[in-house]
Amino acid sequence: MIERRFHRDLYPTAAVDGAVKVFERFARFEVVDEGDYRVVRVSAKRPERERKVALELGNYALGLTRQGGLS
Amino acid sequence: MLDGFPKDLAVGDLAEGSVTLTVDAAVYPLEAVYGAAYIFIDRCFVLLDRPKAGSVSVTLTDKKGAADADSLRRMAGEFANELLTQAWRQKIVEENRVILETVTTQALAGAAARPVSSEPSLDDLASFDFTEESFDDPLGIAMSWEEKYKKKTPTEAAGEASSEGGASGAKP
Amino acid sequence: MMLAGIEKPSVTFPAFFRVREVSGSFVVTNAQGDWVILTAPEFRAFGEGTVDPSSTLWERLKAANLIRAEFDVPAAVARLKKRMKFLENGPNLHMLVVTLRCNETCVYCHASRADMEAVQTDMSAETAERSIDLALGSPSPFITIEFQGGEPLVNFTVVKHAIEYGQRRAKEVGKSIEFTMVSNLALMDEEKLAFLLDYKVQICTSIDGPEHLHDKQRKLIGSSAFKAAVHWIKRINQAYVERGLDPSLYHVEALLTTTRDALSRGREIVDTYNSLGCRALHLRPIDPFGFVEKTASRVEYPREEYLKFYRDTTDYIIELNKKGEQILERYAAIFLTKILNGEDPNFLDIRSPSGAGISAIAYNYDGLVFAGDEARMLHETGDDTFLLGRVGELTYEQMMAHPTVRALVLASNVNGRPDCVNCAYNPYCGADAVHTYKTQGSLSGRMRESTVSAVHKGVMDYLFEKIREGDPGTMEVFRRWTINRSRDHFVQVPG
Repeated sequence: MIERRFHRDLYPTAAVDGAVKVFERFARFEVVDEGDYRVVRVSAKRPERERKVALELGNYALGLTRQGGLS
Repeated sequence: MLDGFPKDLAVGDLAEGSVTLTVDAAVYPLEAVYGAAYIFIDRCFVLLDRPKAGSVSVTLTDKKGAADADSLRRMAGEFANELLTQAWRQKIVEENRVILETVTTQALAGAAARPVSSEPSLDDLASFDFTEESFDDPLGIAMSWEEKYKKKTPTEAAGEASSEGGASGAKP
Repeated sequence: MMLAGIEKPSVTFPAFFRVREVSGSFVVTNAQGDWVILTAPEFRAFGEGTVDPSSTLWERLKAANLIRAEFDVPAAVARLKKRMKFLENGPNLHMLVVTLRCNETCVYCHASRADMEAVQTDMSAETAERSIDLALGSPSPFITIEFQGGEPLVNFTVVKHAIEYGQRRAKEVGKSIEFTMVSNLALMDEEKLAFLLDYKVQICTSIDGPEHLHDKQRKLIGSSAFKAAVHWIKRINQAYVERGLDPSLYHVEALLTTTRDALSRGREIVDTYNSLGCRALHLRPIDPFGFVEKTASRVEYPREEYLKFYRDTTDYIIELNKKGEQILERYAAIFLTKILNGEDPNFLDIRSPSGAGISAIAYNYDGLVFAGDEARMLHETGDDTFLLGRVGELTYEQMMAHPTVRALVLASNVNGRPDCVNCAYNPYCGADAVHTYKTQGSLSGRMRESTVSAVHKGVMDYLFEKIREGDPGTMEVFRRWTINRSRDHFVQVPG
């Protein structure tokens, strides 16, 4: 399991959730709020997929943030 | 540590192939951070964070994995330059908004063969009365550089803060 | 203020200006493109507002609209309007990529060429018709249809059809039309040539320099690409003479791509062009599209090396002109037209805003429409950022209202770009946003790090140095280079 922490000042919740939705067929996600962060925990059968999805999630969330958080 | 960068501003991780830069949010607007970070997403994994109030950190991780010190340094340097460019560009666009919008409108109207009716034009500029007070000078042409950018004395700053608002800056 | 030792800058004497130090002199420009070149003491006097009103310096500054108290607003407006005249009309350059198939392989090719068996990359007659219909939707009273490839002669059937169709449709809608073709000429024959001449198609080719250099970079299986091109250049030029056309005006022009191997062969390249009757040579550096991504280690070079090549080669071209030869350097001609004549020659990549979308549109073989040729090249490498739509589905109005077109117009305006806003060459310059997107990841780019900006500044530094030197022979050559002789033979006027 890899954890990615998205600060709510920098990533709107809709952008994080939108990114998770795009990748949900490639891995399992647990999404919780912890303080100032929207925390996403990524799990996949293969470690390399888990890592790749966790990392790509950040890029996608950034893209959605720039677009206004909408998918 | 990255050569040429203060330790508290940029840190590299050779094994991860990543560099983390911390920028002052008062100096670089968030939009500039987004814009600069975004241009790296084809070759890096990008993550932003707020390590403390007033700061934004940007972690760039090379998609190719482990990197050498020189490539991390160049990545950090390119990000810093892009960040400056984006921050400055926001100000430039704001200051030059009239000319940019005028030219864009004219270009698109010309291309679409639509008459430009209510948008400001160069003819409007020609008929503009430059003898008017700078209060009604939206282009700031009659205003000297000093007037526009001079540092305010504490008295002036306090006076402005207690006033009810400045010029409307109506566009021609 | 360190510049020229100015100690007490005046805020009331100078009108708005920008300045660039060029070899110890100061090039001072205003927003409309007026300019003066000042010595250090003159610039100091200008900057401190201590210019004697009875001096020639005062007169020079006044004539260049650089004195605030004497600022001539109507003159400034008129000058700006003259410079920006190109904004009045819509796209006039429409590039039809009639096939990706090509019979040559070039190390720097950015056309994303395909092998000769790839017939699926041929444009159909129907797609050509729809492309021309869309092009004729432009409000520009004059349209240029440029055939590109691959190698357009490979799909000559469609080229012929497009020309006949375009000529008829242009007449119906009352527009003037001109056809041009960019071809390596290796597949030309007398029958094709006769058609192209009858339909007044302007032909352009590529010559990379003397034979050994050209053939090293442009491979034609079983033959010399150079010999093939030269054979037909001479034949076409002869045909123009046979048809009573002035050879000084009507001849095949060629395009150069400056690779690393070319940098040490400037004079040979000029001599080759001169010997072929070409009157223009554009010393354009290599660009980042297409094959160059893979072959950069062989063909690319630092721009400082390019600028040395540019200076040496252009000096040589000027020298030849003084001896009576008539050949111009295209970059110089473009910038000099702006600097000396206050006009924009409408070279789309050196314009603010640039021509992508509003002046040039590219139609791919499959009917996809792009905001210019570089935009189409990006598509061929998997990037559809600048795709506007498809012929038959996209209307002209939709094309011009496309947010991509607006974004390109905004982003390529030099008054919105860091560095450009402060540059003395701002009124004369421009950089295509697709290029900055490709090389730097954003539409506006970072001009201080841009190879295009480095080249433009370097070329204009060279030109202003020459202007400052004031050699009468050189200035006469420059003046001739700004004269645009229209080639009316190729323009087909309706009615």
